[in-house]
Amino acid sequence: MGAFIRWIQRAMMSKEARCKEEERCLELVRLMLDDQATKEDSEYVLKHIDGCYRCYDNYDLEKTIRKAVKSKTKNLEVSNEIVEEIKSKVPI
Amino acid sequence: MEQPADRYSDLEKSDIFNNEFMVHIDALYNFAYKLTLNEDDAKDLLQDTCMKAFRFINSFEQGTNAKAWLFRILKNSFINEYRKKSKNPGMVDYQEVETYYNSDENEGQVQTTPDLRSETVKGMLGDEITNALNSLDVDFKTVIILCDLEGFKYDEMAKILDIPIGTVRSRLHRARNMLKLKLATYAASMGYK
Ligand SMILES: [Zn+2]
Repeated sequence: MGAFIRWIQRAMMSKEARCKEEERCLELVRLMLDDQATKEDSEYVLKHIDGCYRCYDNYDLEKTIRKAVKSKTKNLEVSNEIVEEIKSKVPI
Repeated sequence: MEQPADRYSDLEKSDIFNNEFMVHIDALYNFAYKLTLNEDDAKDLLQDTCMKAFRFINSFEQGTNAKAWLFRILKNSFINEYRKKSKNPGMVDYQEVETYYNSDENEGQVQTTPDLRSETVKGMLGDEITNALNSLDVDFKTVIILCDLEGFKYDEMAKILDIPIGTVRSRLHRARNMLKLKLATYAASMGYK
């Protein structure tokens, strides 16, 4: 049902359409995605984005950016050479 | 850093170093690389961090959060040693940036982000995401790395960065706004829809 409402809203809303809760909701969305929101805050967010396309869109974008940062940035591995060099410098 | 009298024997020291510190070596190296943007500097910073970790091992409490402790050492070394010799003349003093973005009159600026769609971000290449992240002021970049890439919680970040939790939260919020803005600006310049 939520998805359908959002689809209708997306179809009907202009890009400029604002939500007066948007800023607060975005802050709470970020806390929620960082696993730092209270239970009440998370419940508020989930309920709100189920009916507000604007904030749902923000939530979706936030999730996507996090995922992109995590999966698309280079992940280096320390070579054995460096590990050995470090161990050789530590008196153990 | 406080240095209590030898609380560990040599055997315990080597046990802590090998089993609690070295397991984080890849994460430390990646953090160093993302701060210095140079493999040689990252390697030096990593070595420096490991040396310091060993030197101050008595002030580490075995079994506590070694990763956060090591990240704090690395971050401090970076600020003390590498940041001042960084050749980036465009680097803005962090305090200035935070004051600017914390003042109410500029509140609207970050919020008026150009439109950015999830689909656009999904289609971006790793280099494009990386460049956007690297173009952030180092203090903004750091909180995103610690939170999104390393999964630190706010209280851990507060300890690593020596700032109150409230500042972690607001800095992260602003950092995310800035990153979004960079991505949106980039997408617009590339004509992404
Ligand atoms: Zn809303």
